[in-house]
Amino acid sequence: MSSSGLLQGVVIDGLSVAVPDNVVTNDYYMTEFGEGVEKFAKMTGVERRCIASHDQTASDLAYIAAERLFATSLCRREEVDAIIFVTQTPDYVLPASACVLHSRFGLNTNCIAFDVNLGCSGFVYGLYLAASLLKTGCEHVLLCGGDTNSKIVSTKDKSLAMLFGDGGFAVSIGKDDSSFPWPYSLETNGTGYKSIIVPSGAYRNRPGNSEARSFGEGIIRSDFDLYMNGPDVFSFTISEVPSSIKSLMFTRGISVQDIDYLVLHQANLFVLKQIAKATKFPMCNVPITIDRFGNTSVTSIPLTLCDLFDGKGDGMKHVLLSGFGVGLSWGVMDVHIDSRKCLPIEYTNDVYTKGTLENA
Amino acid sequence: MTEKEKVYLLEEMFEADPDSLRSTTGLDSLNWDSMAFLSLIVLVNDNFGKKLTSQQIRSFKTIGDILAIME
Repeated sequence: MSSSGLLQGVVIDGLSVAVPDNVVTNDYYMTEFGEGVEKFAKMTGVERRCIASHDQTASDLAYIAAERLFATSLCRREEVDAIIFVTQTPDYVLPASACVLHSRFGLNTNCIAFDVNLGCSGFVYGLYLAASLLKTGCEHVLLCGGDTNSKIVSTKDKSLAMLFGDGGFAVSIGKDDSSFPWPYSLETNGTGYKSIIVPSGAYRNRPGNSEARSFGEGIIRSDFDLYMNGPDVFSFTISEVPSSIKSLMFTRGISVQDIDYLVLHQANLFVLKQIAKATKFPMCNVPITIDRFGNTSVTSIPLTLCDLFDGKGDGMKHVLLSGFGVGLSWGVMDVHIDSRKCLPIEYTNDVYTKGTLENA
Repeated sequence: MTEKEKVYLLEEMFEADPDSLRSTTGLDSLNWDSMAFLSLIVLVNDNFGKKLTSQQIRSFKTIGDILAIME
């Protein structure tokens, strides 16, 4: 038993990302935070983000992303026998959003569907789960995910209000015995579970205090808002993530020159630079999207791939993926992906109105 | 690493003038903000292989407090 290994005979058939068409720039926060806005932008690299409308959910965004895979024949609807939906902002407390998507996609009942509650590490974990399902009988897995982080962040918390963006993705994964194997390593340190937390809204802290209150200068939030201990999370990231990347590369005999791109979870620009420095990757091989989309948690790696390749390019690319954050949870995976199958990013205002209470 | 070298690292980090920091220098008189917290975490991790916690960072009041963990 090991949390690292090699996934063989699997291939990414198509990757698609959708973001809300509502773009919010940092200027919007000038009244609330004043000169703190510029300071924040300098440290995190965030300049603007896409923010979901009141009724738009993560599954709405993933739905649009997946429908584009069906429309472009990168995924065949009738062949999907599993849907995984990775999110921390589901449509409902229950049922799983994967079941809602199963209905919206119009799939038959011979289909596995379940949600996974992970954030920034979720794309790498999702690929692992999808590949594992393919080893146990499935033929085609549709891995979806997304988050509307803007709905769980206080707009009066200067440390977080401008950091997160919303987004959703879908990736079609199938079998191919001739494909390159995917080395991976997945890790967890649950002792840090309080470092990134929304303490109320589920079943531990009921009913929770929904009144926003001050936790220091420029930080006003309620128990239903996201809390992040920035220094602790940063400390964890710069010590654990580079060593996990370096360890995978050493174990599998991979050098920096072998990799086309190191695609990191877009936590913040300062973090990305530190990881690049520690792993000796030049920044030109570490693509950045946090400037235009913010931190989109589980979507940040697929979003960065789609932004980078944009449905074009010259074919197979060797990418090292690393996701890290809430849990604390982190993972690294070495993947080959066809750049032409990473579709351009879609902007959407689509909402599944049939899912609202008014239409119950 | 000598005490002088440690102080030099902190002077660089705070973008302070050479020989301007003393162990009694209060952090309130410097740019002791969230960016400095992250820079200090990197400095301590890179040079001393230690993981600083937010609790430790909050407890620092003077340059001397930081020097005490730089070993």
